[in-house]
Amino acid sequence: MTFHVILTELLNGMLLTVGIFALTLLFSMPLGFLVSFGRMSKQPVIRLITQFYISVMRGTPLMLQLMVVYFLPWYLFKIPLSSFWRFPAIILGFTINYAAYFAEIYRSGIEAIPKGQYEAAKLLGYSRSQTFLRIILPQVCKIILPAATNEIITLVKDTSLAYTLSCIEMFSVAKQIAAAETSMVPFAVAALFYYIFNLLVSFVMNRIEKQMSYY
Amino acid sequence: MEMQEVPYLEMNHVRKSFGSLEVLRDISLTVQQGEVVSIIGPSGSGKSTLLRCATLLETMDEGTLSYLGKSAAIMENGCTVYAKPAELDEIKRSFGLVFQSFHLFPHYSVLKNLIDAPIHVQKRPKEEAVAEAMALLEQMGLADKADAYPHQLSGGQQQRVAIARALALKPEVLFFDEPTSALDPELTGEVLKVIKELAEAHMTMIIVTHEMEFARKVSDRILFMDKGYVVVEGTPETVFRSQNGRIQEFLGKLQQP
Amino acid sequence: MKKKLCTLLSALSLGALMLSGCGNQGAGNDADTFVVGFDAEYPPYGYMDDNGEYTGFDLELAQAVCDLEGWTLVKQPIVWDSKDNELNSGSIDCIWSGFTIDGREDDYAWSVPYVDNSQVIVVAVKSGITDFSGLEGKVVGVQAASAALAVLEDEEQQKALADTFQNLQEFADYNTAFAELEAGSVDAIAMDIGVAQYQLESRGNDNFMILDEHLNSEQYGIGFALDNTELRDTVNADLQKLKEDGTFDELAEKYGLSDMVCLE
Repeated sequence: MTFHVILTELLNGMLLTVGIFALTLLFSMPLGFLVSFGRMSKQPVIRLITQFYISVMRGTPLMLQLMVVYFLPWYLFKIPLSSFWRFPAIILGFTINYAAYFAEIYRSGIEAIPKGQYEAAKLLGYSRSQTFLRIILPQVCKIILPAATNEIITLVKDTSLAYTLSCIEMFSVAKQIAAAETSMVPFAVAALFYYIFNLLVSFVMNRIEKQMSYY
Repeated sequence: MEMQEVPYLEMNHVRKSFGSLEVLRDISLTVQQGEVVSIIGPSGSGKSTLLRCATLLETMDEGTLSYLGKSAAIMENGCTVYAKPAELDEIKRSFGLVFQSFHLFPHYSVLKNLIDAPIHVQKRPKEEAVAEAMALLEQMGLADKADAYPHQLSGGQQQRVAIARALALKPEVLFFDEPTSALDPELTGEVLKVIKELAEAHMTMIIVTHEMEFARKVSDRILFMDKGYVVVEGTPETVFRSQNGRIQEFLGKLQQP
Repeated sequence: MKKKLCTLLSALSLGALMLSGCGNQGAGNDADTFVVGFDAEYPPYGYMDDNGEYTGFDLELAQAVCDLEGWTLVKQPIVWDSKDNELNSGSIDCIWSGFTIDGREDDYAWSVPYVDNSQVIVVAVKSGITDFSGLEGKVVGVQAASAALAVLEDEEQQKALADTFQNLQEFADYNTAFAELEAGSVDAIAMDIGVAQYQLESRGNDNFMILDEHLNSEQYGIGFALDNTELRDTVNADLQKLKEDGTFDELAEKYGLSDMVCLE
């Protein structure tokens, strides 16, 4: 295999890696808010359920969760699986896992907002949704940015776990090329790709952080 | 009977407990249009809780509350019953509150702090809101700070912005919860000056404060509270000359730091 | 925030593109497709070729069967540990991947055996190990969930030999195992002879050698779900046709497996 082919194949795998990354963020970040609201709910039942959900998501390996999500329809309901289910299952698995982590990050941010902000908003006549969207959320975003950056960078690397469900993302491609070539070089290239990917992520997050540092 | 003016604020027989701690024990307060009422008393006397009940930040256990004749809370079978949320929203428009620690929105510029609620809550045109906000900032001596962010201002400036923010919604009654307590002594003057100007313009105000000299000068009426009761109520002269032991003790303590 | 959302949305469109990438060819399991589950790190039976396409003896054979039947072949790389889940849940139609029958006779609907395979031991030449007795007190590597591992753990086969090892070290793939063998952290690797020959050829015969003694001999077949004998029978008949028209032997020749194939 020429180096050119190796690069092309790894880039193809990278496309999938980026896809898993982007879709997971797209779904888990909003879902995380829902979960964090559940976690802070005044209803004990909702609070306990979300608390349990978060503890399971954080307390068991992501790899195992991916397998459960993918194979559950078959083992529980005997629904035959098709290859179409593979990618959605991966996105679903990553999403529910990362939503739990994001929920806790959001909660830390929301709870860090002084009570006075809510009271001031209430006195000024803001509705509950206005208070959250106009007053609380923008401040939460700034507070949680460093923690969220951490989580997002972890996600870049976690995408490689998709190989558990035989999804041929970049790391799987690297493994396969390495097997065919009986060489470790593809891993070095893959490592470089992950690193560059994360440099980009850090760069973007830094930019956002700078934009928010006006206050 | 004589026709009486409708009071701007009327609270009757208010009681409030936190657990077993009785904070307000049968407090009544009526404020007429243009009146400036100061509430003084040692800490823990219930002044701030009274203010929070009046501004609907706390719920009363017992008692009634009304603004301009509209009931926010009435007594029914010995319990306080609050009006429907829509009515409360309506009533909330008649008053504003200035907090001890300002609670400006840190992510908004000074101007945006002033215009955001008028535009998004009161749905007023932006140009109008901006023009009024600039006039208010002018009045507070902060016209040049419109684009600054709260963290760039001194405490005194922040509190003046907070006052302007409350005024931007054109309330009938303005509450102050120890507006100078979080400020360095040299900055209290600029805030008190603004409040004094408002008093001279006949703004209806209820002020919880520790600034005795200020309360004496600016108030039409002073309430001295202690342990959940109003101990003495009357003109500044009446209160400061009162022979009541607890007032004497309280004022005495203040004079010898 | 809005900007971030924008980036994400553009990534979403990109993600839609991925749907094709993950099921690899992404076809469903309808009547006209034949989804073959294989270990893509198992040359010469299934691996990625110089052009980045999946190929190998097994996959070309599967393609020939599909050509006969007019099916579309879907090459689905699988994680070896999950092969049974994949097969039982219907996400693949068969396991066709240098798949050892021995010891698994009752677990699958098997095709006819088509390769005579042996499990062998590969050692580094410089280690000086020349026979099984030399493995005493050594660390031996083996692929997890592989036939070689089964042989070494079976009382009736080579359990006694395995007991003389210092440690039986399991690996996910052979590449890692060989890296460890080169580095000296394992002393030998147990694997299929076909795989061993590919590895040695690719890495240069000078450094490694296959011990003359074999752990066992066994046969490869294609594994179908137990209730799927109909498909199994179709493939069996096709294999026979491919043997008769010479395609089978050509492929064996191409992948250097002529000595091992056993289809009559």
